[in-house]
Amino acid sequence: MWYFIRPDAVSALEDPKVIEALPRYVDIVKNKKLAKFRICRLIPVEISGDESMEELWNIHKKLMNEYIKLEKELDEGKTIPSETPKFSLLHLKSTIAQRIMRSCILCERRCMKNREEGELGYCKVGKEMLVSSYFDHMGEEPEIVPSFTVYDFKSAELAWDAISGASTVKTGL
Amino acid sequence: MGCNFRCLHCQNWTISQQFEKGEYYTEKELALLIDDARRRGCRNQNWVGGDPIPHIPFWLRVLLYEKENMPVFFNTNGYLTIEAMELLRGIVDIYKIDFKYGNNRCAERISDVKNYMEVITRNLKLAKDYGELLIRILVLPNHLDCCLSKILEFISKELGKNTRVNLMDQYTPHWRAKEVPEITRRLNAYEWKKAIEMVKYYGLTNVIS
Repeated sequence: MWYFIRPDAVSALEDPKVIEALPRYVDIVKNKKLAKFRICRLIPVEISGDESMEELWNIHKKLMNEYIKLEKELDEGKTIPSETPKFSLLHLKSTIAQRIMRSCILCERRCMKNREEGELGYCKVGKEMLVSSYFDHMGEEPEIVPSFTVYDFKSAELAWDAISGASTVKTGL
Repeated sequence: MGCNFRCLHCQNWTISQQFEKGEYYTEKELALLIDDARRRGCRNQNWVGGDPIPHIPFWLRVLLYEKENMPVFFNTNGYLTIEAMELLRGIVDIYKIDFKYGNNRCAERISDVKNYMEVITRNLKLAKDYGELLIRILVLPNHLDCCLSKILEFISKELGKNTRVNLMDQYTPHWRAKEVPEITRRLNAYEWKKAIEMVKYYGLTNVIS
């Protein structure tokens, strides 16, 4: 029913301005191309888990060259391999990201908190992600909607504030 | 809020007050929800926050479980490290980056961030190289010459006149905006007209406004 709310979104994928700026995205939505993460999952990785961070980054660098090559080949029509490796470039990225959380440098504040141990960064995010809401967003750019949107909270602490805030409003009514 | 910025005019502050609950989902559960969304016609998975940057490790694990071909829309303020950018390369299909300020002084004063221009301009260039780029600009009152003009100039000269830009006029003072005297009101008609003129002056050709 979303096309009643955002009729402009229906034809957005045919809009030359959209295609000019986001050609690959339009093709993924139409299932003519693979989302990037799906290509990452096709690239096999062999690691023991004992590698240093530097070694993991070196492997990552090497495999990203393979990634770029494979994305190009698939976009040009190469058949998608039917078998996916057990441990892929996506696993490697996930492993590195997890390791970064021990001394977090994801954002440019580089606060280096040990989020893996539950310490909170400047962002107030610790070890886990708390989902506050998800919904089919209709308020984004026409080519983007409907967009499955996930909002998250920093930590249980703020979630508690919000829960009590919301219930206060409710009882107030 | 799960954000690495502290914008005094944060709009999501009020949105977050409306949330009735926060729940832990496993990566697998979230992946199932996203797959369902794709099957019912959603065009992308929109990672918000706060900001999605601190949640990258979680999201990468969610992707391990997803079965559908759902593009990733990374809805960010763009203040992430090179390391994080490298992790997102080959993951993010659209980088939607808010280009908020045109100089470091305004950025530090309103959002409590340092070296804003160095970081944002580097990441915008990388995003364009690593995937596809959509820039949002929320025009702030009294920040046309110091910010908007510089933002548009950078886009025009460094990213290309055909960069897709969503120029937004709906700024409303939220949260602690009253602490920043010049942004305690909405944009006026004169400023919006001037903003549109600036877009034309810098020759941008793919602007939603």
